Amino acid sequence: MAELNDFTVKEKPQWCPGCGDFAINMAIKSALQEAGVEPHNSVIVSGIGCSGKMPHFVRAYGFESLHGRVLPPASGIHLANHELTVIGVGGDGDGYGIGMGHFIHIMRRNYDLTYIVHDNQVYGLTTGQTAPTSQKGMKTKTTPYGNLEEPVHPVPLALTMGATYIARGFAGDMKHLASLILGGIRHKGFALIDVLQPCVTFNKLNTYDYWRQRVYKLEEQGHNPSDYAKALEKANEDWKTNYEKIPIGLFYKEDKPTYGSGLPQLNVPLVKHGLKPVGLEEAMDEFI
Amino acid sequence: MEFTWMIGAEAGAGTAVTGRTLTKVFTRGGFHVVGYPEYPSLIRGGHNTYQIRVSDKKIHSPVKKNDVVVALNRNGIIFNRDSVKKGGVLIYDSGVDAAGLKMPEGVDIFPVPIRQIIEENKLDQRMANTVTVGISLGLIGYPMDDFFLILEKEFSRKSREIVDLNIKAAKAGFDYAKKNFKGNFKFTLKPISREKKRMIIGGNEAFAMGAVAGGMKLFAAYPMTPASSVLHYLAEKERHFNIVVKQTEDEIAAIEYAIGASYAGVRASTSTSGGGFSLMVESLGLAALSETPIVVFLAQRTGPSTGMPTWTEQADLRFALHSSQGEFLRVILAPGTVDEEFYLGAESFNLADKYQIPVILLSDKFLSESHFSADRFEWEKVRIERGEILSSIRKKLAPMERFARYKLTKSGISPRVFPGTPEGMHVATSYEHREDSFSTEDFEMRASMVEKRERKQKLLEKEIPLPKIYGKKDAPISIICWGSQVLPAVDALPLLEKGGIHANVIHFSYLYPLPKKIRKLLKSAKHTILFENNSTGQFAGMLKEFLSFRPNVLALKYDGRQFFPEEIAEAVENAHKQKFRRKKVRVVDMGEFEYYNPAAYSEVV
Ligand SMILES: Cc1ncc(C[n+]2csc(CCOP(=O)(O)OP(=O)(O)O)c2C)c(N)n1
Ligand code: SF4
Repeated sequence: MAELNDFTVKEKPQWCPGCGDFAINMAIKSALQEAGVEPHNSVIVSGIGCSGKMPHFVRAYGFESLHGRVLPPASGIHLANHELTVIGVGGDGDGYGIGMGHFIHIMRRNYDLTYIVHDNQVYGLTTGQTAPTSQKGMKTKTTPYGNLEEPVHPVPLALTMGATYIARGFAGDMKHLASLILGGIRHKGFALIDVLQPCVTFNKLNTYDYWRQRVYKLEEQGHNPSDYAKALEKANEDWKTNYEKIPIGLFYKEDKPTYGSGLPQLNVPLVKHGLKPVGLEEAMDEFI
Repeated sequence: MEFTWMIGAEAGAGTAVTGRTLTKVFTRGGFHVVGYPEYPSLIRGGHNTYQIRVSDKKIHSPVKKNDVVVALNRNGIIFNRDSVKKGGVLIYDSGVDAAGLKMPEGVDIFPVPIRQIIEENKLDQRMANTVTVGISLGLIGYPMDDFFLILEKEFSRKSREIVDLNIKAAKAGFDYAKKNFKGNFKFTLKPISREKKRMIIGGNEAFAMGAVAGGMKLFAAYPMTPASSVLHYLAEKERHFNIVVKQTEDEIAAIEYAIGASYAGVRASTSTSGGGFSLMVESLGLAALSETPIVVFLAQRTGPSTGMPTWTEQADLRFALHSSQGEFLRVILAPGTVDEEFYLGAESFNLADKYQIPVILLSDKFLSESHFSADRFEWEKVRIERGEILSSIRKKLAPMERFARYKLTKSGISPRVFPGTPEGMHVATSYEHREDSFSTEDFEMRASMVEKRERKQKLLEKEIPLPKIYGKKDAPISIICWGSQVLPAVDALPLLEKGGIHANVIHFSYLYPLPKKIRKLLKSAKHTILFENNSTGQFAGMLKEFLSFRPNVLALKYDGRQFFPEEIAEAVENAHKQKFRRKKVRVVDMGEFEYYNPAAYSEVV
């Protein structure tokens, strides 16, 4: 079985000192290790952003796509070889802004893959513009008079779109986050892990202290993740309490057939099919 | 011996089904057949036509005039009457209000009470198409056994009763025509041979089969005319072909699914038209920089923007050539026939894999949606060449190191390795990178990587064949064309011969890169006239840029239709008369074949 070190690269991550991305990096590596996955059997797929650098800092296979395009190539990789452990990683701008269409639709499909969103309420790599999850009133480079928009609420959105494993983690609690990611990897179906990730450089509102004062763990309150109605109530608690109480942990988990289980073609992974085409003779007969 | 038939009716009335069935009947009879649909971008209310051309010699293209036209509604008479040849027949449904309509002269007018035939024989209204086929076959005395076999094949899954009723409908139509047609039209047609079992197939289906023959395992697309039938066909057949077919949320997702799957080790592709390709453009660059093979099937239609969605054009060539930021190698292919759709379709995956680049196949509405008789595709002869792939890596990676996926090799091709292979861990990335795939902004490395990717062109160019020549090699006149326009061009040759003009056709299906060796061939042509289905002469520009070649005459058509053989012949004759003086000519369809322009006719209600 692989050890934690097997997932480590020699380059030092290029994030700002103190950035929440370090903890997410560590959590991904330890979840993969604990899940018993070998580095060569895992693929980290990312978009573009500070978060997008992730594949370079986990020694596994990686696919660094375009801004907003994490989930489609991750889906393609998964459909081509469903024996791989595929983890999508992206920013909130990436997944809930420019890539929102893919996010909504992937949840209808229940592919067996894990999606981690670095939810820092701001655009990091492009130096501090407003993000889809920026709170109302928040001042950024592009909202100097305060953000006029309501933020996207990813957790209730995921619940209504049919995601089958929905969790929120906090980059200030690496161990807890790693356990949520591990749960996502083990879950047979689409897993969303939205991560409260302090951007120490561009978000002076949602700091480590800000989150620490407000988060609490669902499991410590005896939350039952198979209770959909309760999950929905908890999912809306943050904004309904004006961010006084912010639950983290596993909101909801459901066992549902995966997309692949509806495809007899995937009894054997596509990549292991022979190259010889089948069925062309009969197909040509139909044109006669 | 040649026969041309056309049906015109309101959209939704089944012209395509009727037409397709008849093309099958004639193809089974050993004829060469072309089936050509035209329809506006409306589901109901517009006017649809389907033309069938049948010949004992090889033919390639629709033509402007018909021997027989079947009009199922008033507009069918109005729009299509002028396309009937002198001595031909205009059949119309006498249930249609034809009062006050001017009928063409020198043509047999044959009203047929379709509804009455249906009622008298206790048939279903839905069998009007079958009756129509029966009438058409009755008119020319063509035996019906093949038609019965087709009905059997088509409806036996439903029930015996439906098969029998349809056969009854066919006979009723046939007998009605035999008994009641009293005109001067005496043409009859008999099957010539039943030995050769040719197919009758559309460009899109041929590409789809070519892709399967080429080992494609994942296909993802978003519907867009005229590419949609690739998706429809493959979706219907995904279990049969044992592949995965996915309609995605948009075209960006479609190409990214394919790129992801290709990275993971399977051959993958997507299809679209210009609008969807616009959305794919950024991802095309991702495929290029990460050196992930990808095949994009781009069926052109009349642009810009939504344009005229169900009509044809060849105006996306420059777009395909220059799409996406930065500079990168790509291959552009333009199949000209259904055979080329199949064989180039399959070959495109080899080129993509071997050079780890995007390959774009340009089709267009005309080729994609028309139907052509063709010999069975020899899929077993398709060679699959996957290029340099390491299925295992002997050398163990040092701790914390990655595999050198982007090795600076002499050929420029760096061996690929798929996820799941031990010791092959690396990142396929949209950033510039080092050999070990880690992103870099080191200037020297950047320059080396640019040159590495560029080097691949040298090997690639060696594989690019010369353009194909139809007709005599040393003919004094050469018609140059690319993609689908070879079809009318080749059919223009016998028309020109009749007038004593000897020409050949130089056809390009490999459009980019254009290696220098092609220059010699072009320079050896005496008089040249280039036909393009666009308004700016995009390929003419490429010939000038890459091969320093200029044709004498450039003929352009951009009204929404492809060239017809008659138009090509006429343009060549004119050029010949004017001694091939350098010039640009523009070709626009004339009224006689105008069958979708309500504004042009005062009688349209
Ligand atoms: C199509 C496109 N538009 C814009 C950009 C520029 N861009 C890069 S990252 C980014 C946003 C980064 O924010 P987020 O996705 O939240 O990730 P973070 O950097 O905060 O991790 C933008 C706008 C791009 N790379 N591509
Ligand atoms: S800008 Fe923000 S998100 Fe990006 S590395 Fe720095 S702290 Fe992290």
